[in-house]
Amino acid sequence: MKLPRFSRKTLCIPYAVFLLFFVIVPMCVILFYAFTDRQMHLSFSNFLRFFSDPTKLSTIVYSIVIALITTVICLLIAYPVALILARSKLKKKFVILMLFVLPMWINFVLRVNAIREFFNLLSQADAMSGLSGANIFKTIVGMVYDFLPFMVLPLYTTMLKIDESLYEASKDLGAGPVTTFFRITLPLSMPGIMSGVTMVFLPSMTNYVVSDMLGNAKVTIIGKFIYEYFGSDWHMGSMVALVLLIVVFVSTLLTGGFKSEENVRGTDL
Amino acid sequence: MKKKRIFSIALAGAMLLPSLGLLSGCGGEDAITLRVYNWEEYIDEGGKGTFIFDELHELDENGDPIRDEHGNHIHIKSDIVDDEYKAWYEETMGHALSEEGPRVLDDFCEWYERTHGQKIRVEYSTFGTNEDMYNEIVLGNEYDLLCPSDYMIMKLASEGRLERYDESFFDETNPENYYVRNVSPFIAEKFATNGGLNVRQDPDGEDIYWRDYAAGYMWGTTGFVYNPAALEAAGIPEEELEELGWDVFTDGRFKDKITAKDNVRDTYFAALGVTYQEELMQLDKSADDYIPKLTAIFNATDEETIGTVEPTLMDIKRNIYSFETDTGKSDMVNGKIWLNYAWSGDAVYALDLAESGKSEDGEDEATAYLNYFVPEAGSNLFFDGWVMPKGANKEAAQAFVNFMSMPQNAMRNSYYIGYTSVIAGEEFEMLDYADYLYGYYPEDEFEEGEEYDEPVDYDLSYFFFGEDHGPDEYISIPAEPKQAEKRQLFAQFPTPEVIARSAVMDYYDEEASIRINELWSRVKAESLEPWTIVVIVVTVLAIVGGVLLLKFGDRLDLFRLPPKKGYEKVKEEPVSYD
Repeated sequence: MKLPRFSRKTLCIPYAVFLLFFVIVPMCVILFYAFTDRQMHLSFSNFLRFFSDPTKLSTIVYSIVIALITTVICLLIAYPVALILARSKLKKKFVILMLFVLPMWINFVLRVNAIREFFNLLSQADAMSGLSGANIFKTIVGMVYDFLPFMVLPLYTTMLKIDESLYEASKDLGAGPVTTFFRITLPLSMPGIMSGVTMVFLPSMTNYVVSDMLGNAKVTIIGKFIYEYFGSDWHMGSMVALVLLIVVFVSTLLTGGFKSEENVRGTDL
Repeated sequence: MKKKRIFSIALAGAMLLPSLGLLSGCGGEDAITLRVYNWEEYIDEGGKGTFIFDELHELDENGDPIRDEHGNHIHIKSDIVDDEYKAWYEETMGHALSEEGPRVLDDFCEWYERTHGQKIRVEYSTFGTNEDMYNEIVLGNEYDLLCPSDYMIMKLASEGRLERYDESFFDETNPENYYVRNVSPFIAEKFATNGGLNVRQDPDGEDIYWRDYAAGYMWGTTGFVYNPAALEAAGIPEEELEELGWDVFTDGRFKDKITAKDNVRDTYFAALGVTYQEELMQLDKSADDYIPKLTAIFNATDEETIGTVEPTLMDIKRNIYSFETDTGKSDMVNGKIWLNYAWSGDAVYALDLAESGKSEDGEDEATAYLNYFVPEAGSNLFFDGWVMPKGANKEAAQAFVNFMSMPQNAMRNSYYIGYTSVIAGEEFEMLDYADYLYGYYPEDEFEEGEEYDEPVDYDLSYFFFGEDHGPDEYISIPAEPKQAEKRQLFAQFPTPEVIARSAVMDYYDEEASIRINELWSRVKAESLEPWTIVVIVVTVLAIVGGVLLLKFGDRLDLFRLPPKKGYEKVKEEPVSYD
């Protein structure tokens, strides 16, 4: 029997179609809406309105700050964990890693609801009653909780790949643990840090389900803004989405391009 | 105006798609399809918790059916789902009523096939906000029947997106026109006069009246659910709320103890109430132009008004605990907040929930009695109605509306969702329903010698005879004074006084819509001081710089110490092992 033969070109067609209809066309639609007015005429009014309106600028800045804080906290928690797990000789370290990653397998909305209820319980205690109004704090805790696995995994996989002989060499040559960390561990785990940062920073700028449910809808991040504009004014909504796209693009440029990064983003799990 | 919107938020978070809770019924090979697009949780969905099931089963305090020793449900005789009701069902559907609570949509399919000789399938999907629904329609999704609120009916009609109801639909002599024969005269008047709003024109220049485009479904008011025990504990007498009216939103004593709605329409409306309360109170309620004046104040969207309302909105934001769409009810029941700005149907639900001693998640909470009040200065009166978009299957759609308008079906829907049906009933069947729910007959309940509150007459004449009813057209039910004054009955069937001071919402035209949305985004967003923005931008730039340094760290030799004395830095040469 003769197997049908496909040329590379033919095999590419489904992917090309997918990219066209699910990436390129939607992008064009957003561009189109962002630069038209309600009569569908070419217009820069949304653009001007966006950049002359302090509200929108401060919302973008505010989202970036929340996302940055979330990312830094995630990094501070995840880095030691990943390092300990990767360097330890524990037999069951896979189990510990699993425990960190496990929440990711449970429905996201359920997790946010659970943490909301948790805060409700805590704030019933008199000493904790201030908690019910601490909207920003609760939002950040929620985001850290939700995005931590995205930081742990890439860090762990990069650190696992660091060659043991480098540590041996470092010891042989008389370097202390601090020097070893700064000259071997940190530089070689940079790709992991970068992809972890990207995977936490970007969603925490837009995930308004967390800020709505934990911040009592009093914390407004850019994702919520886009959602609300799409209720009534698609053109402005598209403009906000476009600006966000640019912010994301810039941050990807910054974090991309590290050595051997491509091995990291697709994690082992 | 609905109960459960959390799921739509969740869905929207995952993808900006409408929540398609597709429940379809019946069908078959040669069935036609009726596509109905309704609010979430806005129709009887059968089974436990429905009118028929709850009435015919013995229930425990959680509303769960009690089982006998064989594990079977215990059936009981009901005063309202009585023999007459069962006979009606058998006559209409051609078979006996199942005690398990049939779904009203399934019943419609059966009824339609039976009366029209045509199989039908209902494709039922749901939306969370009027605006979501509007977007769907504009995108070109096709439906046969939608259930928007008053202002959205007007918007759709003025854009020429709706079909008119047939003349024959309004023919009262036809016994099969259940809607027009059963609808409350009060609702019919409101639909004929657009609830007192200005008349607008459709694209052909013809005047729009809701009546031509919409058949009512549910209606209600907005007001405040409050927790009298919590207020008392805080030293605020209940009576003071009436005096404060809309000002509860900005009163410092309620800081973090009150909620507003997380949508611009309702919260802007409330902010207008707060801002113009004094002016509203000074209006002469007996004057002919009272309602137009009231409506104008509550629908003002000009720049000057927005400028005046903005600081009020900021005060509201500072004072409230949260902007919510769904969490207010459970926060109310578990005592976290004292006041919740709510739609009347949700208020009934919250009051019931509190009394049952259970919070929404089923945990035991102290049994609390909640009350409801509507500000003296005036509030919102809303209507949700069935409309047919252009290209709808009018025949089937109108049959659907007629089926839902049979009083026995209106009871089922109203019972399930907690809102008030627009149906009064030819024979005042809905009066029996109101009496069954709220009628108060102490002489039957109490032994002689026991003390009890004397029942009061609760006037419902306006609903059954219209607002301008004659002196001998009087209908009332005996009610417990508290129910009449501030509890479920008062929320579900507002008093004539509340109706007389309520305004209907108009839709925002394009320019107003932009202004209001900008206002809303200013209110919702965190407004940072310019210097804070500068500081943050500098910090971000510093981080960017740091990242760049790290990124090109190799080239800059960031991770290497400078060579020690006597050593020299050499350029790395690639080593070859060949």
